[in-house]
Parts: sequence; C-alpha cells; structure tokens
Amino acid sequence: MKRLYKITFLVLAMTMFFASCVKDLDTVPIDPNDLTPDKVYANKAGYNHVLAKLYAGLSTSGQQGAAGNPDISGIDEGFGEYLRGYWYHQELTTDEAVIGWNDQTIKNFHYQNWGSGDVFIQAMYYRIFFQITQCNEFIRESTEAKLDERGITGADRTEIGFYRAEARFLRALSYYHALDMFGNVPFVTEDDGVGKFFPAQIKRADLYLYVEKELLAIEGLLKPARTNEYGRADQAAAWTLLAKLYLNAKVYTGIDNTEFYTKCITFCNKVIGAGYTLEPTYQNLFLADNQNNTNENIFSVNFDGLRTRTWGGTTFIIHAAVGGSMTPADYGVAGGWGGTRTTSALVEKFPDFGDRPWSSPTPKPKGGYPTLYVPGSYQGWDPTNTTTVLKSVGSNNKFEGYLNFADAGTEFKFTTGPNWDVNYGDDNGDGTLEPNGANIVAPDAGYYKINVDLDALTYTKEKTTWGLIGSATPGGWDSDQPMTYNATTGEWEITVDLTAGEVKFRANGGWAINYGDNGGDGILEADGANITIPAAGTYNVYMKLGAPDYTYRIEMFIAPMWDHRAMFWTDGQNLEINDISVFNDGYAISKWKNVTSAGIAGSDGTYTDTDFPMFRLADVYLMYAEAVKRGGSGGDEGTALDLVNQVRIRGFGNDERAKINAADLTLDFILDERARELYWECHRRTDLIRFGKFSTGTYLWPWKGGVKNGATVAETYNLFPLPSSDVSANPNLKQNPGY
Amino acid sequence: MKKRLQWLRYLFLLLAFASATVVSAQEVTVTGKVTDATDGSSLPGVTVVIKNTALGTVTDIDGKYSVKVNPGAILVFSYVGYQTQEVTFAGQKTINIELSGSVSSLSELVVIGYGTVKKQDATGSVVAIDDKDYNKGAISSPQQLIIGKIPGVQVTTLGGAPGGDAQIRIRGGSSLNASNDPLIVIDGIPIDNAATSGARGSLSMINPDDIATTTVLKDASATAIYGSRASNGVILITTKKGAAGKKFGVDYSGNVSIATVPKTISVLSGDEFTALVKERYPNRPDVTGLLGTSNTDWQKEIYRTGISTDHNIALNGTVSTMPYRLSLGYLYQDGILKTDNMKRTSVGLNLNPTFFKNYLKVNVNAKYIFEKNHFADNSAIGAAIAFDPTQPVNEFRNLGQHYYGGYWAWLQSADTLPVNQATTNPVAYLNLKEDDSKVNRFLGNAQIDYKLHFFPDLRAVLNLGIDYVKGKGTVYIPEYATWTFTDKGQDNTYYQIKNNKVLDFYLNYVKDVKSIYSKFDVMAGYSWQHFYYEANDYKSNVPHDTARTTDITKKKEYYLVSFYGRFNYTLLDRYLLTFTLRDDGSSKFSKNTRWGLFPSAALAWKINEEAFLRDSKVLSQLKLRLGWGKTGQQDITDNWYPYQSVYTASDQYAQYQFGNVWYTTWRANSYDPDIKWETTTTWNVGLDFGFLQDRITGSIDYYIRNTYDLLNYAPVPAGTNLSNYVWTNIGDMTNKGWEFAIDAKPIVTKDWKWDINVNFTYNKNEITKLSLTDDPSYLGVTAGGISGGVGNTVQMQSVGYPMYSFFVYQQVYDNDGNPIEGLYVDRNNDGKIDDHDRYHYKSANPDATIGFATTLSWKKLSFSAAGHAAIGNYVYNNISSNRGVYSNLYRPEGPYLGNVTSDVNDTKFVNNQYLSDYYVQNGSFFKMDYMSLSYDFGNLVKNTLRLGISFTVNNVFTITKYKGLDPELASSDNNRNYTVGIDNNMYPRSRVFVLGVNLSL
Repeated sequence: MKRLYKITFLVLAMTMFFASCVKDLDTVPIDPNDLTPDKVYANKAGYNHVLAKLYAGLSTSGQQGAAGNPDISGIDEGFGEYLRGYWYHQELTTDEAVIGWNDQTIKNFHYQNWGSGDVFIQAMYYRIFFQITQCNEFIRESTEAKLDERGITGADRTEIGFYRAEARFLRALSYYHALDMFGNVPFVTEDDGVGKFFPAQIKRADLYLYVEKELLAIEGLLKPARTNEYGRADQAAAWTLLAKLYLNAKVYTGIDNTEFYTKCITFCNKVIGAGYTLEPTYQNLFLADNQNNTNENIFSVNFDGLRTRTWGGTTFIIHAAVGGSMTPADYGVAGGWGGTRTTSALVEKFPDFGDRPWSSPTPKPKGGYPTLYVPGSYQGWDPTNTTTVLKSVGSNNKFEGYLNFADAGTEFKFTTGPNWDVNYGDDNGDGTLEPNGANIVAPDAGYYKINVDLDALTYTKEKTTWGLIGSATPGGWDSDQPMTYNATTGEWEITVDLTAGEVKFRANGGWAINYGDNGGDGILEADGANITIPAAGTYNVYMKLGAPDYTYRIEMFIAPMWDHRAMFWTDGQNLEINDISVFNDGYAISKWKNVTSAGIAGSDGTYTDTDFPMFRLADVYLMYAEAVKRGGSGGDEGTALDLVNQVRIRGFGNDERAKINAADLTLDFILDERARELYWECHRRTDLIRFGKFSTGTYLWPWKGGVKNGATVAETYNLFPLPSSDVSANPNLKQNPGY
Repeated sequence: MKKRLQWLRYLFLLLAFASATVVSAQEVTVTGKVTDATDGSSLPGVTVVIKNTALGTVTDIDGKYSVKVNPGAILVFSYVGYQTQEVTFAGQKTINIELSGSVSSLSELVVIGYGTVKKQDATGSVVAIDDKDYNKGAISSPQQLIIGKIPGVQVTTLGGAPGGDAQIRIRGGSSLNASNDPLIVIDGIPIDNAATSGARGSLSMINPDDIATTTVLKDASATAIYGSRASNGVILITTKKGAAGKKFGVDYSGNVSIATVPKTISVLSGDEFTALVKERYPNRPDVTGLLGTSNTDWQKEIYRTGISTDHNIALNGTVSTMPYRLSLGYLYQDGILKTDNMKRTSVGLNLNPTFFKNYLKVNVNAKYIFEKNHFADNSAIGAAIAFDPTQPVNEFRNLGQHYYGGYWAWLQSADTLPVNQATTNPVAYLNLKEDDSKVNRFLGNAQIDYKLHFFPDLRAVLNLGIDYVKGKGTVYIPEYATWTFTDKGQDNTYYQIKNNKVLDFYLNYVKDVKSIYSKFDVMAGYSWQHFYYEANDYKSNVPHDTARTTDITKKKEYYLVSFYGRFNYTLLDRYLLTFTLRDDGSSKFSKNTRWGLFPSAALAWKINEEAFLRDSKVLSQLKLRLGWGKTGQQDITDNWYPYQSVYTASDQYAQYQFGNVWYTTWRANSYDPDIKWETTTTWNVGLDFGFLQDRITGSIDYYIRNTYDLLNYAPVPAGTNLSNYVWTNIGDMTNKGWEFAIDAKPIVTKDWKWDINVNFTYNKNEITKLSLTDDPSYLGVTAGGISGGVGNTVQMQSVGYPMYSFFVYQQVYDNDGNPIEGLYVDRNNDGKIDDHDRYHYKSANPDATIGFATTLSWKKLSFSAAGHAAIGNYVYNNISSNRGVYSNLYRPEGPYLGNVTSDVNDTKFVNNQYLSDYYVQNGSFFKMDYMSLSYDFGNLVKNTLRLGISFTVNNVFTITKYKGLDPELASSDNNRNYTVGIDNNMYPRSRVFVLGVNLSL
C-alpha cells in the first residue's frame, strides 16, 4: 500500500513536470529582427517598414545588401533582382543590347532562343510573383477590419490608406509586367491565403482588364500627382501605367480599337497637365544624383551606394557596360564588368553620329617617376612644393621639366627630397653642380626647360616659347602658330582654325625641341608621332608641360548639331559584332554613370547611387504622339509634333536645329525616336512588339535568331514561356503556345 | 487521437512500475585466483568488477584477488586479450577462474540508445569499434578514426585543412535538403553537427585520444529509439573512464608529424605561358607587353611542409570508491597552406563513483576544449592556379598607397588602382589577411543511475547534459590589399554561441523469469532538449567608416520533447524481440503536426544456439536479424520557425528611400503552416556469422530505406506563398543497399598474428517523387553550383535518378578522340542544341565503397595498414572547366593575364564549356589511408613504464583514373549544406609522416 502511494505520487509529479516542458514547444522567434505579424502591424511605423519592402522588392534582392537572405531562391541572388531581370528581358532581347558573359543561358535572350527551363526567365517570373504575394499580404493586413482590430485611427489610419493604395499600385505594376512578358499567368489576390494550393490561370485579356480595373480604382485613392514623398507612387504613376496599358492594349487583348489610344491620350494629358517639365540636360537623368530630377521623373526605382545595395539594378547596368578602354573611375565605379554593348542597329538610329565635336584622347599619365625638387625665389624657396619639380622618366638620375620664371634674375637650387638635406647649386655658373653650392641664376624671365644629371652633376636651362605647326594649321609645316602661356593654368594655349591633317608642338621655331604623341594616349613624347586632326573646325589647343608626363588637349570649339543622346564608347570597340563574348565587339554605352551632375563619384565605388526612372515625362510625350498618330482622339497633331520636338531639342543639347517637320512625324519615326530617347531603359521589347518588329522577319538586327546578320524567329517569342518548374508544380497552368 | 497519444506517453512510465520485488542485501568477502586456461600460469592485473557497479579490484602479481560482494552479484573478470567471464556469486568462499584467450568480442557490451546490450544479443545493425580498430597516425578529429572501418558508413574529410572536419554518410543519407548528417551522441549528449564560427569543425573540438568506443547504429530498429533525429543513423561516442579498483597510473601518448603536399595542379610554367601567349596573340604588343620576366610556381609559393605535434597525458586511478580519469591534450597543427595553424588544448575529467552499496551510481564527464586558429585564406589555392606565372611575388616600389603590401598586382595602369576583375596575388591572400579565432567548448554531463531501494529490479536514470560552445574571431585585411581596396579593407569581429541542453530520464526494468525461459528488459523515458544559438557579426573597414560598418546579432532557439520506450524480450536465449517506440515533439512544427510517432520492431534468431548447430565445430555463431522501423527528421538547419509567419528586418544596406529618409524594410517570409516530420521507413535483414571459433566472423545486411515527405526547400506554385521556395514536405526518396563485412584471422600463433578486415557497401539511391503533382515532365531542382560564370549548375535532382546526378551536355569528339569545342549531341533531335539536350549523366555518389584493414604482428613488432575505396563516383572537374581554356590567357577587362591548366593542351578549348560532360570524370579510387609499423617494448622497469613506438604514413597513395588532384570530395558551408562531387580548389589532403610514442606508468 505504501509502495503504491509512492508510485502514484511519483507518476503525478512527473506528469506535471512533463506537461510544463511540452509547453516549451510553443516557442516563437526570439531575434529582434524576426517579427511576428502582431508586432509588425502594431502601428503605422510597422506598416511603413513593410511598405518600404514592397518598393524595395523592385530594387534589392534580399534582406541583406548587397546579397544575403534572398527574396527568391533557385537563382544567383544578383540575377534574381527585379530590375536586372526586367532589363535582361526588355533590352537583351532587342537591337539595343548584347551581353558577353558565360552565365548559364544568358545569351539566348539575344538569340531569341530561350526555353521554358531558362533560369533567368524563371527568376523574373518568380520575382514578379514575389511582389504580388508580398503586396497581397500587405493588402490583407491593412483592411478596415484589421485596422479596427489594431485600434489604428486618425491621421495614421489615413496614411495607411495611402500605403494600401500604393501596395495595389505596385501589385498592378507587377501584374502589368506579367501581362506584358508572360501573358497567361497564375492569378492570386489578397483573397488567396498563404500555403500550398494551385492558383487558377488567368487569360491575358482578362489580366489586362484586371490591371485596368485596379488602376482606375486606386486612381483617386493615391496621393495627388507630385505630392507624395520621393520614391513613392502617386496618381501620376498610375496614369502613366494606364497610358502604357492602353497604348499596348491591342497586343494584350487582341482587339484593334482606337478607343484604346483615346484613353491613352486622356491619361497622358493628365500627366502632362500635372506640372512636370523636361530636365534640361539629358545626361543628368542617368547620374548618381538623378533623384533631383523630380521635374521629369514620374516613378523611379531607387538605389543608394550605402543604403540600398544590390548586385542588380543600376549597379549591374553601370558596371556591366564598363570595359575595354573605358576608365572605370569616369563612371564612378572601381572596375567594370565588361559585359553589355549595343548592336550597329541602334547606332544607325543616330544618322548624325560622328557629327560631334572631336577632341584628342584624355591623357592617361603614367606617373610614379623619381622627383627632384626645385626651390627658388620664383616659388618662395619652398622645397616641399610638388608642382615645381623635375622628374626622371627613366629612373636613371637624369631629371627633366619645365619651370616658369615670371621675373628676370630668378634664383633656384635643386634638392633631392622635399627638404634641404641634400641640395645642389652651382658655385661658379659653369653648369656643374656642387652640393650646397651657390644659387643658380636665370637672367631672363621666361619658360625654361631644365635638365639635371645627378650622376654627372651637370645641368642645363633653356628658355622656350612654343608654337603649333603642321599640315592642319593655317601655316602648314612651314610656320608656327604661336601659343601663349597661361600662368594660371600653367598651360600653353591657342585658339585656331584647323583643317583635317596633322600637327605637332615645337619650341623656339625649330625642331630641336618638339613633341608629338606616340600611341595616341594624350601623352607627349619628344620627337613623337604627328597628331591627327580628323575634321575641320575651330579648336582650342592646350599643352601642359611642367614635369613629365607632358600632356595636351585639342578640343573642337564650335560644334556641329549633334545628338547628345548617342552615348557610344567607340575607342577600341568595333561597330560590328563578330563574337558576342568579346567585349570589344559592338559599341559600348556610356549613358549610365555613378557620378553626379557635378562630376563627383557616387557614395560607393561598387554599389551605385543612380536611380532608375521607370516612368519619365519624355516617355509620356512620345506615347502621346504615338497615340495621336494611331488615331486616338483627345489630342492633336500639332501638340504631338511640339512634344516630340521638345524631346529632340533637349536631346540635342537644347539645340533648336533638332526640330522635325510635321511630315517627318510618322509612326516609324516615333519608334526610332523612342529608341534614341529611351534605349537601355527597359522599353524596347514592348515597343518592338507593339510595332510588330520583335519576332518574325520584318526587322532584323545583328545576331537576332543567333545569326550574325539576324534571322527570322517565330512569333512564339513575343511572349516568354511560363517556367517549366511552375507548369509542373501547378496543374492548372497551360504553357504559352509554342513552348 | 491526441488524447490517446498523451496516454501512450505515460503508459511507458507505468509499464516500468508494473511489478516489484524487494531483495535484501548481505555482504561477503570472496577470494580466488585467476589463471590462463591454456598453460595454467597466473594472470596478474586482471580486472574483477561487480557487474553494473564500479566496485571491484585487480589481481595481484600471483593472480590472486579479494572482493566484497552481495549474494546474487555477478563478478566480471576481464583482461586484455582474454575472453571476459562472468560468475554469479551464490555463497561460495572461493572463486577460481581460468581465462581463455579471446578471439571473439561477442560477449562485449555494446552501447545502444539509453542502455547497453551484449553484442551477441543485439537485434539491430549495430557496429562498435574501439582503440584497436581505430585508424592510426595523425588523427586530429574523431571522424578520422573510423574512415573505411564500417560498412555503410562513408566518412569523407573535407580536405586537408587542420582539424580534419569530415562529412559522414550512413547508408547514403536519407534527406535531400534537410540534414544528412547522423546524430552524434557523446556520453549521452546529442551534439550539434554544424561547426561553430571560428571552429575547424563540429567534432574537431573533441580530442580523439579521449574516445573509448564509437558505436554506429545503422538500421531503424537500432536508431528508432532516437526517433526524430535518427534517420541518418546514430553515432554514439563513449569517452574513456577511470577503471574501478585500478591503482594510480599515467598514460602518455604523443606524436610528431610532418605533412607534405602530395600533388599539385598541373599548370603552365612561366616559359610555357610566355610561349603560348605569344603564339595566341601574335600581333598584339598590347597583350604580350603584359608578360613579366619571372618564372613563379605559385603553388610552390603557397604550400609548405607542415609540422605538427600531439601530446596526450592521462592520469587515472581510484580515490576510495571513486574511479577517476583526468586527461590533458595539446595539439599543434600546421596546415600545408602557409600560415594555416590550429592549436587545441583539451581537458577531460571523468568521475564515476558509486554510493549506497551500488544502488546509486554517478558518472560525471566534463570536457573543456580550447581551440585557437589562424585561418589561411583558401582563395589562395584557386588564385595560385590562375595567377600569371611570369610575374614576381613581390614588387618593391617607392611611392604611394603601400603599393598593395609590396605584392605584385594587376593595376589599371602604372601607379593606379588595382584591376578589380583580375586574380589576386595568392601570397598576398595568405600574408595580408589576419583571420584568427578562439573557440571554447564545454561538454559536460552527469548521469545518475539509481536502483530503487524499494524495488531493485527497477533502475531510474537521470542524465543532464550541456554542450556550450563559444567561438569568436577577428578578420583583418589592410585597406591597401588589392582585393578589398574598393571597400578600404576589412576589420571584422564575430562571435557565435551555441548552448544546447539535454535532460533525459528513464526507467529500466529487467527481469529474468527462468520459469518460462524468458528475459524481459523494459525501458521507458522522457527527454527534453533545448537548442540555443546566438551570433554577432561586426563588419567594418579600415579605418572604421560608419557607413561601412554593420553590427548584426542573431538569436534563435528550438525545443525537442520526447517520450520513448523499449521492450526487449528474450526466449530461450535464442529468440530475441525488440520493440521501441518514440514520440517526439519539435517546436519547429505547429501544434497540429508537432508530434511524430516513430515505432520499430526487430527479431533476432541465434541459430547456432539451436540443438542441431550447438555442437558444430565449424560454425561458432550464426544470427539472423530482421528489423523494421520508422525514423524522423526535423533538422532544418537554417530555419527554426518554418511553420510561423515571420517578418525579417533588413540590414542597413537593404533599406529603401522615402523622401530623404531610408527605412529598414520588413519582409514577410515564406512559411508552410502544415510542415511536418520527414519520415524514413527502413527494412533490414542481416546475418551475423562466425566460423572456426570465430577465427572468421562477419555480417551481411540488406536494407531498404524509403523516405517520405522529404523536408525540402522546394519551389511551390507561383502565387501561393511569400517566396518561390518554401520549407515544406515535398518528395520521396529511396536507398537500397547491401553491406558485407568480414574479419579473418588467418594466423594466430604464439609469435605471429595476422588479422584482415574487409567491408563492402553497395548503395543505390533514387529520388522517387519531387513535386506535389507528379508531373512527369518536371525536370527537378538544380544543384551543384560551380565556379565560372555566375549561377551555373551542373547537377539536377530529378525523379528516377540518384541525388546529385550530373546534368550536362553530351560532348562530341573528333576522329582523334579530342572534344570539339561547343559541339554537343542533339539528344532530342530537334535540330538545335538547347536546354532540352542536357541529360543526366552519372552521379557524384559512389555505387560501392570498400574498406580494408590489416594487422600483422610478430612478437612485439606489428605492421598495420588500412585503406578505403569508392567505385562509380563521378567528379566534375571544375578546375579544368574553369581554367583550362585559352580565353583565360588574356582578359581585356583590366587588362590582365591568367594561367591555364595543362589540360587545355588536350581540349584546345578557347571558351569555357562548363556544361560539357567531358568534365564529368570517373572518380573511382582506392586510397591507402595509412601504413604503420610499431614496436612494443613492453615493461622497461619491472612491471611498469611500458613503452611503445610507432612510425606511420598517412594518405600513403591513391590509385585513380581521375585527372584532377583528388577524386574524394566533399565541401560544406557552415550550415552543413554540402556540395558533392564538384572539384573546385579543395584544400589538398597532405601526406603525413608520423612518429608516435606511447608510455604508461
């Protein structure tokens, strides 16, 4: 009996102990960075953080910048970034871009030979649905009922209302991309939960109607145009997307109806009437400080070198374009990735390319030569002054350089370091040097060439005046065009009319001291090769001597009319592409940069600050013109011409000569103008399809269809396939025709 | 249903109380003499212990002993080299014993989950090995002890880095994405398999010298008692204990070893390189002008001969009734990669006293390990293959920015920025990066084994254990190092803490009911485990720039709660039945799916005990085993909350700008509210046999393992979850295989002994389901990421194929048998070569593995050798596919030059052909793991100071057709996500020459 009591007691005690331990299994995340929904949506600030992710879904690839904790899996994280994927799909498939890398199936984009197993297509598709499901989740969590439940009222509740409308806009934007690229996709809204189920497939035309309905529904719920914070969508963003939707409606619905173009004009008018203006300088739209272009940018995807990092986005666009002879620093990056170029088809859209001011190559000084310092009365006897020095190019104790002595009777000495420890003078003015010798005297004022040989302990000083000579000059090879010395810049300069031909620099009207340029590197060499002037014009010519390396610049002074938008890098590049893998085949593009409009590098050498204008005013102008030309009403031809001309004038550097006539304004002209204005901005594929020039044989460009001269491809490729992984995973999906 | 389960849990406990008897105790002194059965000579030093206690003594110089016992107690006589004998005390005053020489270890106790079993009574597939079977030589981690020793157990070291971390696969592994690592239990504490930051590996922290036995549980009937964590097998490690009754003794073992580089990758020499560049770029002074004038063998520059020492000293004895063992180990190991070094200090203490006349036994283990590392940057290995051999290591110039530490580097132009895309100077990698860590680990448990005073048939065992690891380290790269130049160097500190606790409590009831020739052994228990993880990573540059500084702390935890029971029934000492049941709850799953029930059943029939065989002179043992069981898996390494909706905040680099403010973003993560246990069902048939008085013993096993509801990080239909991949249960897999082991002693004479041990395993793995829909056109999930390009993969997990099957194009060859660049077989005959022409070609996993060991001894001299082999494993030669092309010679982005592997002479490929099956090469191999010669001097001073010396060569040779460095490959990240069969700049395994000394006092 006693034993039974003991046993019963033991069993009871254990039962209680075990029950409490079983409760441990209900643990929730303990990391402050991992939040459960009740904490996330407790207040407006939490909603704001989630909204930030809905936008960031377009620019970052995961929760660690630049990579780590990715949003989608099964793909390299950088490839899985939204904008990079979008760029691949919209640009690499067209005449505007090729890429040289070995990454998986990447070249199939340009060959228009992709399949349903393509990982890049898969990544884009899943990225779109990542956005959609994240937006759905937010929309579910921001219903009136949920806000009531969480006791959120007043101004906070109003603001969350805007957030919710923006989430619906972002979802509509991604569904628009799905509509444009994939057509018939699985369809889920906030009414579908999270788990494992098989979403139904929506027909392309029905998806069109859904996107239209959503955008019209939220038009009035978004903040008025130009009143929201930078980075967030407003009514103008929804209008622009509606305009795009209507302009392409024929492709999406299969119905040919001018009503679409009328609606397109309606929404273009709303945008134009909202007070946007064109940014005066085209290049500024694509620079590190382009967040300042809110006059023109309607909706942008934003990046920041320190705070919004990714291996996609503009970091990709800029790095991939830099290679060959391009200097990475000019693009605000530490190194190029040498990948993307363009085809001759885009270059040919700029018939006047080449009519641009010629200038000599940017000098690339080698530097790093041993220094001999020349303190003297002309510079305050300062041995630490590194601008008044001689250099030994051969590192052989033979030093050379030019010094300007403003006054007669200038005295100076040589020191081997930026101090007086080892110094040389000339005790008896015989051209030999003595340690701690007397000051050397230059009797006349002037620009002196000075040579010192520290092994022989000798030196020479010769006064020089400089001129430009050559077949390109008015005096031919017979007489110099005298140059003048600019004491402020330290350069010899001349403004002169040159013809096509050759020039050299020489001193004192003779050939004893003359400079040309070997290798065309902007560095002068004694007795160097003649410098070629390719075109006639008025030029500013500058020569900077001082200490080696000696450099020069020859710049055209009065420019012809030229299209500033033709930002091709041709140095070392071939116009035609023989091998897509070789960066030097095809002109490189210098449109996108991580430097500010003031020329200052972005905040980081790897990750760029440059934002991506998804929608901007020039696009709306061109859409207006196209909709008018396609028979839409609500606009007029005169306005259309004026808007196109505004775009062109700005593109030509605000040169009124760029205007076209009403007769020139055809639909094909508009397509080409769109290429000129909007290339590498993710519009091209959609535009070519709208014009019936993407697949088939109506328009060929180099390597379309995988053939150098371009080949016809099937219309199948107007739509991308649904990824085979999803077709297998979801029995409701029917593959797009032809795949 | 749920209610019933709860009842079931408590039923186990009640079972154990079912009946009870009380026995009184009365102590008597017993004396006796132990002699050798063959020649009658007295045996000194024989251990005499009272069974299930730590009480006992040893025989004196005349073989005599005296010990106090209770009636009914069993005396156990054991002596090295002799068969252990047990005698039940029934009042006799004197017990004289004759011990016969042992050839069989059948009566040895084998550790199983929550208990022990006699080897001959084991019903499951259980293999135990100890000291005498362990691998010899330079062993720095416990896994190395058992390489090639056990059929069905594949141990692959991750390379030649110090610490010797390894991958262990038992019967092929049962999971696709969840862990395939076996559960490792050290003295009752389940160990976390993932390495801690700063540590060389998870097990590398355990001093192999402290390990007594390693037991591998392979089939479900053996493992199911560990239920949820047992799908990949269980390895039980018991550490050395103090011997009861033994006088004070000191053991020392130590060695000095020299590690050499056995082989390097064949690349072009400086002269060959210059010639080839000039040949390929004839009219390109801009290219040939980049050539240097040096002739640098970069691989020679980064490798060295590494010298290591290992010292272990152990003090043991008994203080009153408390046996103890105190051990101290110190390992100093230099990697063959320059600057790579590991130092490990380990202290182990074991106390196993008994109280209340053996009613209470306590076993306390405490291990403290301190590891100090300097990690060499392994990037140097790949860089040494790729770096231009015509450039010098150092370059001394007198200007600016430290000139990149004085290391020659590719610059954009003279005196300017480094070329980001160019290969980094390999020696700079080694010398400019300071990567140091310190890891402290405490592993301790206290086991209290109490035989109830009021019910002595019943034992209550409580085991409390803790495994605490803290790794911390610093990484410093100066701002002028080329490869971090853009980011201005690196100055990071990090730490990681893992604190895992276990509480086990079980009751064990044993009853021998002679009247019905039956023996019952019933056990029921409860287990609670808590896993805690915390890590901090502080990243900055030099000098610290706030915009580049991040400081991230991460924390997570999970719990496992389990109820388990085992019922052993033995009839006529011939028919054995085992039934186990475990009910596991994991906090990784929701309330509805949390509990998993894992049963097993096994039958064994000792056929040789039957009348018709009992007297056989030929057959000494024959046992048939049949087992079935279900085991589970919940070890999702990187997500501990897969069923919960969790939002993850971004770091400071993934913020988003609204207005002029950048906001942290919060992302809703994908989750599966219905995620549940992965289960594996195993069938096992086995036959253990012994002939000629166990001169030949062996076993054969056949198994089928089917895994269902694979825990898979898998794609789900678009739109249904918050990402395209989610942790969920998708897919099934099967492993079938044969295991065969044989141990023979062809020669056993007074002076000569020869022992041969061979084991063979054949395993066939196949994925049987991968998607929710069973769509036959579904290709599968990519795997096998390679170097070169970005995101390229060469493996595909597909239904109908083994895991890690290669997925490549079929190369076309010319008449001379050379591959034609870019030309592949149009396998689907659609006139074009695209994705649809890729095919499954071979797998990275071997069809068969073989282990072999032998020992030959003559008097005091003995020679031993062991090796292992794999057959049918294929390797993707990523080094050749990446470096063996002409286009690597000159890269215009930069520009810079790079070396190529010599096999470019075979392929003549200009551009990389990553997806060609040319690079999938047969990796079958045989490796001689060690050859060792040892001499036992015996006692130098009468009966004391025993000395043995040995000379061992590890990694003696490898026989393989594989053209790369080493076909035996495995690599893993910190989460134990493995890459299998991709040869990509592995840290070479060194050939080691070891001189060892053993001394005991």
